[in-house]
Amino acid sequence: MVDRASQLRSSSSWVAGMAFTSPWLLGLVALFAWPFAASLYWSFCTFDIINPPRFVGVENYQRLAAEIASGRGAGKALMNTVYYALLSVPLSVVLGVLLAVVLSAQVRGQAFFRTIIFLPSVIPVVASSVLWIWMLDPDGGLMNLILGWFGVPPQNWLNQARPAVSIEGVAQIGGWLTGGPLLLMGSKDALVLMTLWGVGNFVVIYLAAISDIPATLYEAADIDGASGVRKLLHVTVPMLSPVIFFNLVMGLIRSVQTFTSIYVLSAGTGQPGESLMTVSLRLFTSAFADFEMGYASAIAWVMFVGLMFCTVLLFRTSKSWVHYRQ
Amino acid sequence: MKIISRKFVFSGGWVLGCAVVVFFLFQSYRHADRSDAAAAKGREEVVFWHFWGGEDRTIVDGIVDRFNDSQHQYFVRAIAMPGNNLQAKLFLAVAGGDPPDIVNQDDPVLADWAKRGVIQPLKNVAAAAEVDQVKQSLLAPARRLSVVDGALFAVCNGLDIRTLLYNQTAIDAAGLAVPQTIAQLDAIAEHFWPSVTDGPPPRLHSPVGYLPDSRRLWAWGPAFGADFYDPQTKQCKLDSAPVLAALKWMVGYSRRYGADNLASFGQGDQSLPGQTFPLLPVDDDAVVGRYVVIMDGQWRVRDVAAFQKRRADLGLPEVKFGACPLPVPTGGSEFNGRDANGQPQPQPQSQSQSPGRKDAGWVNGNFFVVPTGAKCPRGAWEFAKFWIGQSAFSDAESAADGYAQGGWIPVTREVAESATYRQYVTENPLMETFVRLASSPHQYPIPVVVGAALLKRAVENMTYDAMIKNNADDTDDKAIAALLKQRSAEVIRRLKVMQELTF
Amino acid sequence: MKPCEKIFTYAVLIFCAAVFALPMLVMISGSLQSPEQLARNPYSIPTTLRWSNYADAINSMPMLLYLSNTLLLCVGCVVGTTLSCSLVAYGLCKIDFRGRKLLMMSVLATMLLPWQIMMVPRFVLIREIGLYNSLWAIIGPTFLGDAFFIFLLRQFFVSIPESLLEAGQIDGLGHWGLFRRIVLPLSWPAITTVALFQFVQTWNDFGGPLLYLSDPDRFPLAYGLERFVSSYADQTHLLLAASVLFTVPIILLFFLAQKIFIEGIATTGVKG
Repeated sequence: MVDRASQLRSSSSWVAGMAFTSPWLLGLVALFAWPFAASLYWSFCTFDIINPPRFVGVENYQRLAAEIASGRGAGKALMNTVYYALLSVPLSVVLGVLLAVVLSAQVRGQAFFRTIIFLPSVIPVVASSVLWIWMLDPDGGLMNLILGWFGVPPQNWLNQARPAVSIEGVAQIGGWLTGGPLLLMGSKDALVLMTLWGVGNFVVIYLAAISDIPATLYEAADIDGASGVRKLLHVTVPMLSPVIFFNLVMGLIRSVQTFTSIYVLSAGTGQPGESLMTVSLRLFTSAFADFEMGYASAIAWVMFVGLMFCTVLLFRTSKSWVHYRQ
Repeated sequence: MKIISRKFVFSGGWVLGCAVVVFFLFQSYRHADRSDAAAAKGREEVVFWHFWGGEDRTIVDGIVDRFNDSQHQYFVRAIAMPGNNLQAKLFLAVAGGDPPDIVNQDDPVLADWAKRGVIQPLKNVAAAAEVDQVKQSLLAPARRLSVVDGALFAVCNGLDIRTLLYNQTAIDAAGLAVPQTIAQLDAIAEHFWPSVTDGPPPRLHSPVGYLPDSRRLWAWGPAFGADFYDPQTKQCKLDSAPVLAALKWMVGYSRRYGADNLASFGQGDQSLPGQTFPLLPVDDDAVVGRYVVIMDGQWRVRDVAAFQKRRADLGLPEVKFGACPLPVPTGGSEFNGRDANGQPQPQPQSQSQSPGRKDAGWVNGNFFVVPTGAKCPRGAWEFAKFWIGQSAFSDAESAADGYAQGGWIPVTREVAESATYRQYVTENPLMETFVRLASSPHQYPIPVVVGAALLKRAVENMTYDAMIKNNADDTDDKAIAALLKQRSAEVIRRLKVMQELTF
Repeated sequence: MKPCEKIFTYAVLIFCAAVFALPMLVMISGSLQSPEQLARNPYSIPTTLRWSNYADAINSMPMLLYLSNTLLLCVGCVVGTTLSCSLVAYGLCKIDFRGRKLLMMSVLATMLLPWQIMMVPRFVLIREIGLYNSLWAIIGPTFLGDAFFIFLLRQFFVSIPESLLEAGQIDGLGHWGLFRRIVLPLSWPAITTVALFQFVQTWNDFGGPLLYLSDPDRFPLAYGLERFVSSYADQTHLLLAASVLFTVPIILLFFLAQKIFIEGIATTGVKG
């Protein structure tokens, strides 16, 4: 039946197909294929948008390699992005899964709790950045106030370049335990925190996936006398693994591309001390503040290739831990 | 979760749609209204972009109105674009083919724009003699900010001068002197916040005598005797003995008071206009001022006046403030922490042989440029001249009006010495130092070279790394010298490449 | 559930909700305080509500103008996206033609491309066709489809039974007729999802105006607000009020169409 129907409709189908998909065809050429090729070509040029591009060979890539080797400029941006991605992606997966598990408990007011957790992810980034700038004020900000309740000294947050997860950070904790000051959290950690606050999007996906897990699996685990933690680790997480994998990939792409929040938090400068100068902000600055479109294109290409490499790597490793249900 | 019926959402959509149509009509009406205003009078419209907001914006609008009333040929339409990245916006507008006629700017982009053809040399806009007259009328720092390779590309319309603003009352109470030498400044810092010989530096506390900001090597360099630019060879110079001396002196503060304290000071407290002004008590009248001395610009004069008025209204005792030029090193007496007995330790003689330079510092300013492709460049030029008091339609006195209202620093001697402006300075004695420094020959901007923005960032990042990123312990003098050498070689090489690629 | 388990669950839930809700609460309470209150004791429940902050925020930037620009953009983009994406999705799903598989793959592939790589050339393109500093620079591209939304609609169209289309064909409908009379009426939930997501996305869009608009009379709210932030950094009460105003419509929209939001995200991944 189905075959006959599509055959019936396929008589003049090429023209019709092309007609219906023509917006996308045009978009593919104008907004993807051409830009893709152009930026590849321009990455070998010096180009300031006003004057015509001039071919300079691998100069841009050489500069990029030198900067990455020295750890400054684009190299610094790369390190910042890696730090942010390495911290924010796994943390948002862990936090997302845990929240979803708690929120899937059959209790009264479940919808209310779900809404509260989800709402922050709906707040426009520009607005939530304003809010966080205020809350992270080292002098009297809400965050430091709360930390104070637990005996933690005030942190510098957006005023501090040094990130928490670093050798100096460990030294700080050591010093604190022996009576010294504690200045742990830096600007990138603030960014991670803000990202985690907006984890609601991911939670919704996990919630949907959790509701698809057959109750029989938990019943079987109960019969085996498994504890809550064991059920989480041996039933929920494996059953969620395809979704976790999906969110890992999406989270990675998203973290590398994060722009608006970083731009607003640092007023477009990447300060303090270049600590918020991530690859995407570096790219924007190179292109539209320094007008080195060629160099910006080279950065974009390296970023693209890097991202592809990581994605492929994730796919490779996924075979060993992602369980697809038949 | 509760669902509202789809029908409801759609009807909401209709309401929304109607609202949009109304807004659209409203908006197009507004547009029509405005361009009609200019066209009706048969004048050429001059589109003017600036970034002034708040109080300043009212003053700018006043100047624009005065210009529009002063003649019948041009009509300036001011567009306020507050926020960052105005330089990017202009570049994009020129690239996009829709530039304004005149733009006010204060980023170090002049040479880049000139060489890339984003802005026009003003000799293309007006007669050579006229351009030359304007060029000669500008004070030395203003001229440095307006000229690329000898040609006038911009008209500086206001200078930003940095002085040390100090709490006179606090300094007097401590029996200290207004700092004229680096040693005296160090003594103030040390008096209000004694450095500790061992253990970690204490957390930032009030009051603080003085803390340097890592972005201000541009100011301390000249005060220590450095030239960042050699006009003969047209090259930037970073790696010099005076720069190194200034850098070492700044790093000394992070050793004594803790890098983290300096970091929070630099990024938070001492910042752009609009931020909390750290000399003034935030909310507690018992604490008069958190910082005794800070380096900042003339816009603080207004803040100080407002603060003093508020105290007077509350019947509180007066707190006096002063402004002085950057102190200079005298050699050998710079404070270098305390020895084991808690006695102040001077720096070894050999390290600061560089002669200090009085009245030196970093100058920046606002300048007008005329973009390539401007539709009414002549009107732009007339407006720029009007602003600085060099136009047939305005004399020094009437131009001084705007400067006095805004608390800005004039760019020509005539305006600075006009009765109107002198009156303003008499009423605001803190301005005296700022205005005097504006005609000092040793106020240097960031070199006006291709890649200046990159140069600025590179120097500031280097200073930040020296003062804050590295732990105070491992920034010994050798490491600082090596850092300066390496970073300056890097940035100068980069600038050369940029210059080659631009032409 | 055992009672102790239940208490524990509630404790955890209340804790999490408090942590997530607190920033939103202080944002609202902060937006209703005077500057003095904010400087002294910002986190107490305000005793007097200063509603004038909202009026001040609206007056200190051309908020209504920004709003009208944002709404124009939103409507334009929603129309563009729903129109183009539903057409393309129908073509990819219900018409059998050579190259269809390839096109479908191109849709999936472009989802993985970072926007940064396209940023400079797209800017040049927009300039070349004279759309710089026009709202069309942002609206225009939505008429050429969006990979994510095409994918979302296609997933929905697949579930429309062939027999329906067949019946329509017997009634003499062509592809256009089938699309308009049968597929579209059945797909309102999916199209509403797309429209909603696009609306929110355009409302929040910051990069587009940052790159393509230079005339402040054309700025949308998201961009106008950022400019406001950088020039009124010390007026926290106004910044918070403006942020709340900017956020409220989106929150309202969310409550009006919760199910659509949640299902849309849950079934297709993250967007918006």
